[in-house]
Amino acid sequence: MSRFISFVLFAGLTLFAVGAESKVYLDVYGQSYKKITIAVPPFASEEKPRPEISDLLSRDLDMSGFFVVAPRSLMDNGLVGEGMDKRNIKFDQWRSLGVELLCKALVQEKDNGFSLEAYLYDASDGSLLFAKRYRATPSEWRRIVHRLADEIILTVTGEKGIMSSRVLFVAGDRRHRDVYVADLDGYGPRKLTDQRQIVVSPSVSPDGKYLAFTSYKEGRPNLYVVELATNREVYADRQDGTKVGSSWMNAKTIAYAHILGKVSTIYAANVETKQRTVLMKKEGILSSPTFSPDGTKMVFVSDMHGGPNIFITDLATGETKRLSYFGNYNTEPAYSPKGDLIAFVSKTEGALEICVMRPDGSNARVLSDGGINDSPQFSPCGRYILYSSQMGKKTSIRLMLHNGENKRELKFTGNEETQPKFMP
Amino acid sequence: MKKSLFLLFVSIILLFYGCASKQASVPLSERIARQPEQQAPVGAGVKGKEGAIGEEELMRAEREKQQKAAVDAASARLQDIYFDFDSYAIRPDDIPVLKKMADWLATDQAVKLVIEGHCDERGTTEYNLALGQKRAEAAKDFLVKSGVSAKSLGTVSYGKETPVDAGHTEDAWAKNRRDHFAAQQ
Repeated sequence: MSRFISFVLFAGLTLFAVGAESKVYLDVYGQSYKKITIAVPPFASEEKPRPEISDLLSRDLDMSGFFVVAPRSLMDNGLVGEGMDKRNIKFDQWRSLGVELLCKALVQEKDNGFSLEAYLYDASDGSLLFAKRYRATPSEWRRIVHRLADEIILTVTGEKGIMSSRVLFVAGDRRHRDVYVADLDGYGPRKLTDQRQIVVSPSVSPDGKYLAFTSYKEGRPNLYVVELATNREVYADRQDGTKVGSSWMNAKTIAYAHILGKVSTIYAANVETKQRTVLMKKEGILSSPTFSPDGTKMVFVSDMHGGPNIFITDLATGETKRLSYFGNYNTEPAYSPKGDLIAFVSKTEGALEICVMRPDGSNARVLSDGGINDSPQFSPCGRYILYSSQMGKKTSIRLMLHNGENKRELKFTGNEETQPKFMP
Repeated sequence: MKKSLFLLFVSIILLFYGCASKQASVPLSERIARQPEQQAPVGAGVKGKEGAIGEEELMRAEREKQQKAAVDAASARLQDIYFDFDSYAIRPDDIPVLKKMADWLATDQAVKLVIEGHCDERGTTEYNLALGQKRAEAAKDFLVKSGVSAKSLGTVSYGKETPVDAGHTEDAWAKNRRDHFAAQQ
């Protein structure tokens, strides 16, 4: 109960943004919050206008789920052309449009360089919240805009945004698939593998060095780990049986399940020394190991109580506890890097839903809206969940906030896309 | 002063909290019944047990056929078997199918089989891969107990990745929850 009260207090304080030390305008950990209205008028430019730059920033801010972006149609030309200087900005007019924050920027392109000078103002009192200058090569302008978006989100919510993130996923048709990486907004999908096979469960090591996945290129589901820079195979498990569900315990150690005969085994393998240890071995099915952020606990799926359910085990003592008591089909757990939630899939009447629960199994909530949902994964900050969703025939990747708000469909290749993860 | 400010905050917050908009998530307990926590673990093997395993050992004849024709003939004699949702127990009505297969395999040792376990789309990717492996293992176990050499039987799981029926109906799902037997020379 006291926990609940402190949570409510925190939410309230940040909503009102009091005190000099608190620059946080918005608490996103509450179950519900009011979005901030921000205006991003077309950026000034010394050369030809580049409306796509302010458009991309607007899209990023909208996608974050924390903002209402004031539509361009509300701004008359006088307001758009008022200039960058604080003395010329008509804050009262912006306020009359309901605008709370105003982002102004100047684009400069010369000598094969691109620079963006950005200012964020609080429209209520005209105070400058930040001024930033970014430089890059002209082809990297998108990266700069994503960084600016993340900076604005940091200023407003107290935590950096995810708009600079990239997404790892599987795409292709049923029998010919590969692992891809692309910007979160769908830009620039790039193939990381050349399998043209059934490929499942990709994951990248925390330092971004290794890619693990399960592929049928040798006729059965083998687990492979390749070094991304060289595409060299550093580890493979070619034992008979199914090897699937990779999760990195640290930069060099990967955990996965192996199902063969009557037993299932969860291995931890050092991909450099190739040393493989058994974390757990049981009759029946074990799958989808995932770890608490401190590495002391493993969450996994087992059918030892009948249908698949989610269990947690203390790696030091071996003490194992069942977490899911909802229906009889709970799979694909993912531990939040913040440690406060476990996301999973639960079979309800007619659907497979993305749910979250506390790490003790309490307060389970359904976040998705029907269909066949799969593979939830948290962002490194713990505020967002990526997952795949099949509505009718097509499977696509979606993003939502950890409380189920702000659901967005992400589009990358135009093909079937599944099993998304945030690229470290 | 500090205290009154604090109280003001609390009252405003409660006001806001009270009129919070509809939440995006609903408690899972509203959607599905909670199971009793004291449920005793059932043996992991129970779900995978065959209905009634035939104990009969069969005579092994010594005949060898290694021609392609044999594989084709073999394929003609192989028949998929089907499973209930989230189950890897052999159904009683599939026992005669497997017994017939075992009789024939035990007398024709040149044939090697790969048993493919498949699932329907109403499950998650990783768990279905595990379940498909168990379905293949269940058929392998039955055939071995019926006298077929384990060496001539391979298993592979395709999870829900390669459905035989691309539909989204009960009928399609039932067809997709299967073991498929592929003959190899």
